[in-house]
Amino acid sequence: MAAKMTKPEMINQQVGWCPGCGHGIIQRLIAECCEELGLCEKTIQVVDIACAYWSIDTLNCDGIAGPHGRCAAVATAIKKVYPDSNVYVHAGDGCSYVIGLSETCYAAQRNVPITMIVVNNGIFGMTGGQMCPATTLVGDKTVSSKKGRDDKVAGEPFDMLNILQNYKIAYAARGSLCDPKHIDQTKKMLKKGFENQRDKKGFSIIEILSPCPTNWKLSPADAMKKMKEENEKVFPVKVYVDNGGDE
Amino acid sequence: MSKGFQLMKGNEAIAEAALRAGCRFYAGYPITPQSEILEYMSANMADRGGVFIQGESEIASMSMLWGAAACGERVMTSSSGPGYDLKQEGISYLSSYNLPAVIIDVMRYGVGDGEITEGQDSYWLATRGGGHGDSRQLVLTPGSVQECAELTYEAFDLAEKYRTVVIILSDGGISQMIEKVVLPEPKEHDRSKFDWAIKGEKKKDEPKVKVTNLDRSMDYSAYDAMVRKKFSDMYHNEQRWENFMTEDAELILVAYGISSRICKSAVRRAREAGMKLGLIRPITAWPYPKKAFENLPEGLKGLVTVEMSLSSQMGLDIRLATEYKVPLYGYLTSKYVPTTQGIVDFCKGVLAGDVKELEVY
Repeated sequence: MAAKMTKPEMINQQVGWCPGCGHGIIQRLIAECCEELGLCEKTIQVVDIACAYWSIDTLNCDGIAGPHGRCAAVATAIKKVYPDSNVYVHAGDGCSYVIGLSETCYAAQRNVPITMIVVNNGIFGMTGGQMCPATTLVGDKTVSSKKGRDDKVAGEPFDMLNILQNYKIAYAARGSLCDPKHIDQTKKMLKKGFENQRDKKGFSIIEILSPCPTNWKLSPADAMKKMKEENEKVFPVKVYVDNGGDE
Repeated sequence: MSKGFQLMKGNEAIAEAALRAGCRFYAGYPITPQSEILEYMSANMADRGGVFIQGESEIASMSMLWGAAACGERVMTSSSGPGYDLKQEGISYLSSYNLPAVIIDVMRYGVGDGEITEGQDSYWLATRGGGHGDSRQLVLTPGSVQECAELTYEAFDLAEKYRTVVIILSDGGISQMIEKVVLPEPKEHDRSKFDWAIKGEKKKDEPKVKVTNLDRSMDYSAYDAMVRKKFSDMYHNEQRWENFMTEDAELILVAYGISSRICKSAVRRAREAGMKLGLIRPITAWPYPKKAFENLPEGLKGLVTVEMSLSSQMGLDIRLATEYKVPLYGYLTSKYVPTTQGIVDFCKGVLAGDVKELEVY
């Protein structure tokens, strides 16, 4: 007899993302981690005003959305005011690596013990599928790179975790949602990020490769395939930093 | 009030008064001529049990304020000139969820990088509703170091009373001068008292707070009505000004901040020579004190706005307050602090009919 599928109690209503989007899986993993670690009552979510914003009503915890790109700064302040709370960021690659690059770097530089979850879907989803300067692959077609991203004009995407591993932080890792095995691995990464925060070990960032079938203009299955065969080549799934930081 | 006085810079008085008002979160970025506020907070905030962050930018500092204010903390930042431009995004956000916060703008003169010395030409930016969207913020204009302390101290209460951003509109002159000040008594703030604020821990069945661009605990029409009422209440209840020798004046100067101090000297000097000047000193720049212009003396020949600006900025508010019915002249000194004799001579010219009325646009 098949096991009965249940949703985490922390999720209190249906999510609003497109079919095949990875955000919903990430949302579920976040809720599972918080529940398994007994952190629900202390959790404060900081969501960006793009696609991640849809999670603000679905989790049973205090939450805040702020100016686009500033999640890391908002989370920094909340964590400083409530040091014993469980503050996590759920934001996209545009927020975290483009308009909010500085805020992300300085949350790492200060080694603020928050858990920052960055959804790398290689695109600006909420605004209709424009190129993401940080993560769109060279050659990928978007509504703002219609002939495919030209690296001579728009430069190349970059691996932000390569940069952040130079900071004194607790944890940096990249997961993927391309198959159940990788989803399980991603959950372990997220859990590590929340444990580090609970144990006041410093800044943890988990980037997650996540499909955007709507804006990639692919079926959900083909989007998963592209992610595994193309995006993971440029953005390898691995742990970059795992040193627990300093007390 | 504490007994005795001390000598402090305007900026230091602002910072110390904020701490005494229970401000326990400051984030900011250095810029002249307000950096002493940031420096004072860096040296003293931790001792009072608060959080000081030297932000990576004004924008990040404002986002930190947004986060800390959402927790119910008493929060403050400060900036000037081009730095204050970058605060606008945050002011708009704070206003969207009606979060209390105190923001210090120590005006420096000029467009672009401008000068690092005093000016009064950021008046519009402070008084016309920060950032995008339709919002209003209380704007208080200290005219002395004592007022730097008193208005900052009170600003935190006003911010919570109306759930609004309060701007202290100082200038390089007021903020850099050293004067006597009697500081207010320290008090503690209870950040847990607000039902709209994020808490550090909540039971599963407690209602949760979602701090976003609108207050989602109510619908749009209720939100609109609440905000409109707030603007109206602030406008009608918070107009503040000082009358200085206006009862019998034939010409009334209108000035705030650094200019208002010179104006007082000009009023005295003019009266020694038999010219009856007076001064209306707005203490709130928003709401503009329209009530101050309701009972002007009979025989008044006109008003003179004295501002450190290139064209007049406050003049438009005076025109609106007087419904364009009273002759208005402008003594506008751009980057130079007005002089007592300069003001007196200008007023002589006005009374002699040698000066054209001020055109505002």
